[in-house]
Amino acid sequence: MEAVTEMTNWAVDLIDVHKTYGRTIRALGGVNIQVRRGEIFGLLGPNGAGKTTLVKIMMTAVRPTKALGTILGRPIGHRGKLARIGYLPEHQRFPPYLTGMQALDYFGALAKVPRVRRMENANRLLDRLWLGQWRNTRVDKYSKGMVQRLGIAQALVNDPEMVVLDEPTDGLDPVGRRDVRELLIELRNEGKTVFLNSHLLSELEQVCDRVAILVDGLVARQGTLRELTEHTVEYRVTALGDLSPLREKLEKLGASCEGGLICVPGHDAATANAVVDLLRGANLLIESVEPHRFSLEDILVEALGESHGAPPARRVGPVGSGA
Amino acid sequence: MQQFLALAKDSLRESMDRKIFWVMTALSVLVAAGMFCFAFEPGRVVVLFGAWEFETAEFTSAGSVQSSRIAGLAVHIIWDLMLGFVGVTLALVATAGFLPAFMERGAIEVVLSKPMARWKVFLAKYLGSMVFILAQATLFVVLTYMVIGFRWRVWLPGYLLTIPLSVILFSYLYCVSALVAVWSRSTVAAALMSFGAWVGFFGVQTTADLFDLYPSWQEQTVACNAIRAARWIVPKTQDITYLAARWVGAGASSEVVPDGEGEDAELVRRAGALEEERMEINPVHTLGSSLLFEAVIVLLAIWKFSRTDY
Repeated sequence: MEAVTEMTNWAVDLIDVHKTYGRTIRALGGVNIQVRRGEIFGLLGPNGAGKTTLVKIMMTAVRPTKALGTILGRPIGHRGKLARIGYLPEHQRFPPYLTGMQALDYFGALAKVPRVRRMENANRLLDRLWLGQWRNTRVDKYSKGMVQRLGIAQALVNDPEMVVLDEPTDGLDPVGRRDVRELLIELRNEGKTVFLNSHLLSELEQVCDRVAILVDGLVARQGTLRELTEHTVEYRVTALGDLSPLREKLEKLGASCEGGLICVPGHDAATANAVVDLLRGANLLIESVEPHRFSLEDILVEALGESHGAPPARRVGPVGSGA
Repeated sequence: MQQFLALAKDSLRESMDRKIFWVMTALSVLVAAGMFCFAFEPGRVVVLFGAWEFETAEFTSAGSVQSSRIAGLAVHIIWDLMLGFVGVTLALVATAGFLPAFMERGAIEVVLSKPMARWKVFLAKYLGSMVFILAQATLFVVLTYMVIGFRWRVWLPGYLLTIPLSVILFSYLYCVSALVAVWSRSTVAAALMSFGAWVGFFGVQTTADLFDLYPSWQEQTVACNAIRAARWIVPKTQDITYLAARWVGAGASSEVVPDGEGEDAELVRRAGALEEERMEINPVHTLGSSLLFEAVIVLLAIWKFSRTDY
């Protein structure tokens, strides 16, 4: 049985994860998330959605009310497998009396990395994350960005199969953020799985293979970026001139207009062409026609709207799908 | 073991980062230096290498320095006062923040994400915190032992046993600090409650002694039985001094510390007899029952630590 679970393609296979604080505060209401081995997976959602709670359940810092599934082929909370996972919590604090090198040595030892290998890893990671010259400086002398980079080094010191990063670019300047993005891609290229929790949607868009959107403790969307965005296209037509005489006809075609901008929802180019024909027929000058794919932010806002009772504006990607 | 050692090493670094650690180190050196200024010779005490001399037969017997008197001085004044009271007090203050800092948000999550069971994490950190008192007790006792040996010319191998006794005394109180820290995550609460427990333990033992001292009190059978049961349950901090005195070869403190005017001769006699009786206390009984209390408190703390969401 164990051999079978070890061979699964899922690095993370969370099934029906619940967490209730006290008797009434529901943080997670049955989360199902699947992450493939060797991919960068992004978890996003508004504040209070339960993202950090979910990550902490994966890393055993929070005890779930109910949880099934596996991480790296073993049940959630399996102590042995934690040696193969790296974790950067949100706002990591290091003991202030440790130097950068001592901190990596300490956390490497806790992860059961043999001394020689953890020293090699620590030196390599400190250099890779631009902390080499401060390796013997106490952590309380580090800037916020340096602490964050040391946190990432800490998460990698055990050469993990999977790394779970909670807001990894928090406190980093634009150059540092780019460097972290490159590091994440390097990790993926090395075959490692990256589980990313970030509120910086543009960053997730740049590096993630797949994402899940968590709203009110439930997965509202899950899939590849392409899956989530391919059905959520609209055409944006910009025209010069007075559109008000055409407003009724445009609305019949399903388009909406505001100022000189006309939005044609859906991915059917024929409707967009019909709108263009209508505008041309009215001798209006068309400045531009461009297909617009929704960003993660658009999808997140939409998911939030649905969750809070607003009717869905448009069809989007598969919900709760693991594939 | 690797993880255990990592946590212990971390505790040593944390200890050395506290100013109190260095204050205590300085105090130990000062005390040893102060002791070095005294010398005991037959019939006299020499201060500051001959600057002053006091004639006294207090420490002399049969024409030579009486080692049991020196042992009594070493245990009841030097060790008990400086390490058993001042040292343990400072150590409790210094270590009260260890667990709250360890459990701070952003710090504890990483430790818990490592392949180590929670109960082992807590136990390693708990025992690691003893490194503080172990280091200080070792320094103090070894320094004073050397001075007593080289300068006072009395070698007391049993005096070295006060190192583990100091750690045990500290642990009786630190377990309360740890439990409160796990529950409240507050350094102040942990420190205050450990001192409160110390006063409580002392109070129970002292009250029980008073029942033994005044036979008329024993007519209150319920109270008498209750306080005796409580004495059995709680850590017996005062017994540590009796054990130290016995193992070092010192007499009871009443032999070293004069009992004043002795207004009530019978009471003083009974108190002396009671102290002599305490000197014969069974170490397995006193240490065993006290450590059992500590084990229960630590198990409670582990239970709470293991069931908390961080």
